[in-house]
Amino acid sequence: MKFLIYLLLALVVVPFQTTLLHYVSLFGVRPDLGLVAACLVGFLGGELDGLILGLLLGCFQDMLSAGDLWINVVTKGGGGFLAGLAGRHMAHMTPAVLTAGLAIISCLSSVVFLYSMNPAGIDEVWMGVRSTVLVQAGFDAMVGAGLYLLFRQRWSDDRMVTEGAL
Amino acid sequence: MAISRSTYGTRRLAIVLLACLLIALFLLPSQSQRLLQYVGGPLGQILSVPLAAFSSIDQGISETWNGYLALQSVHEENRQLRRDMEFLKGQNNQLRESVTATQRYEALLNFKQQSPSQTLAAQVIGRDATNWYRGMILNKGENDGVRAEMGVVTPAGVVGRIVKTNSTSSVVLLVTDPNNAIAGVVQRTRDEGIVEGTSHGRARLKYIPLLSSVQAGDRVVTSGLTGAFPRGLAIGGLTQVEKSEGDLFQSAEIEPEVDLSKLDEVLIITAPYEDADAAQKLLQEIHGDRKKS
Repeated sequence: MKFLIYLLLALVVVPFQTTLLHYVSLFGVRPDLGLVAACLVGFLGGELDGLILGLLLGCFQDMLSAGDLWINVVTKGGGGFLAGLAGRHMAHMTPAVLTAGLAIISCLSSVVFLYSMNPAGIDEVWMGVRSTVLVQAGFDAMVGAGLYLLFRQRWSDDRMVTEGAL
Repeated sequence: MAISRSTYGTRRLAIVLLACLLIALFLLPSQSQRLLQYVGGPLGQILSVPLAAFSSIDQGISETWNGYLALQSVHEENRQLRRDMEFLKGQNNQLRESVTATQRYEALLNFKQQSPSQTLAAQVIGRDATNWYRGMILNKGENDGVRAEMGVVTPAGVVGRIVKTNSTSSVVLLVTDPNNAIAGVVQRTRDEGIVEGTSHGRARLKYIPLLSSVQAGDRVVTSGLTGAFPRGLAIGGLTQVEKSEGDLFQSAEIEPEVDLSKLDEVLIITAPYEDADAAQKLLQEIHGDRKKS
């Protein structure tokens, strides 16, 4: 059941990202909703959930991106997994912690993209960091924190139910 | 308790297996590419449904915005004028190219024998899913005969080339992406080079011979030496020529002819020349002439 929900989520998030998200771009950079979704689910649902959703989102994103077919699968899957690991070791999830965590994972994901593009020199790397990595990390963190605040009540209820069951 | 333990064990096993898959994908990119391509076929079919729905929402939003908030008639008129301008730009460029070719030497008069390319109209339905590539998603895919490496143009000039396809859509890598490379030629001096995108969203003509007299304002067109594009399609105008001491070649920045941020419809070149054999023969003749001279 959960897998189906994640599949549906991926089928909504990726087309939304490619068709409508350009309306909210900042300096030509859009938030990576796929990464944000995988990380949020990872933080709140655990490594497996983050990993599964990340793999699904990455697979769909790769099909609608000009890059290699593995890159989004790896970054989104890895992001969801890392977020799950981080979430498991945290007693209290606060928006500030989540924002910082999302920013770090977004930066790590962007570094994989930068590495995959074989930059010609340090100037190109620095250019990529300034123009895309930092802006996207800030954007992802903001969007993630916003979504968390929006759905916090529901998620905390779910978490309590899950923990109670275990 | 026993049930909970077994669920925990399965969960752990799933995590380990998926993590191994992730590591394998990262360490074996070329092998994983094949696997993902295989998996991507049916997934593409599923993905095309929400993609089309979101695309129509996007179209609705932009039409509402442009139609009602930005005045209906002005927008329509502007759209028509832009279409006319694009068409005239393309026509103008073809004429210029023909004139230059005629003046140069007789062999290139065979241009007239070149049949127009076979093209397929497609609509832009989205942008690249990441911020790292300058790409666009088109609503035509393998079912319509679209294949990777096909060229994409508008009447005004080159847009990019197809890099990925699935059954109902395809991804175009724009001419301004650093991963793109198209064979180009400076229209005035006939110096050939490779057009690559830059990180600033423009393009650059590389490997221009050091003794070439290229200058800002010169126009760059496709050379026709690579399969995707026929000869003479506009790529852009040179804005700045760079010649560093000790370098073996010059390079020049190009302002692309097509406004890539405002594309709605494009043409996919399914066959650069209608008669591929004749085109091959023509190219061989030209190369033969060059070797002799």
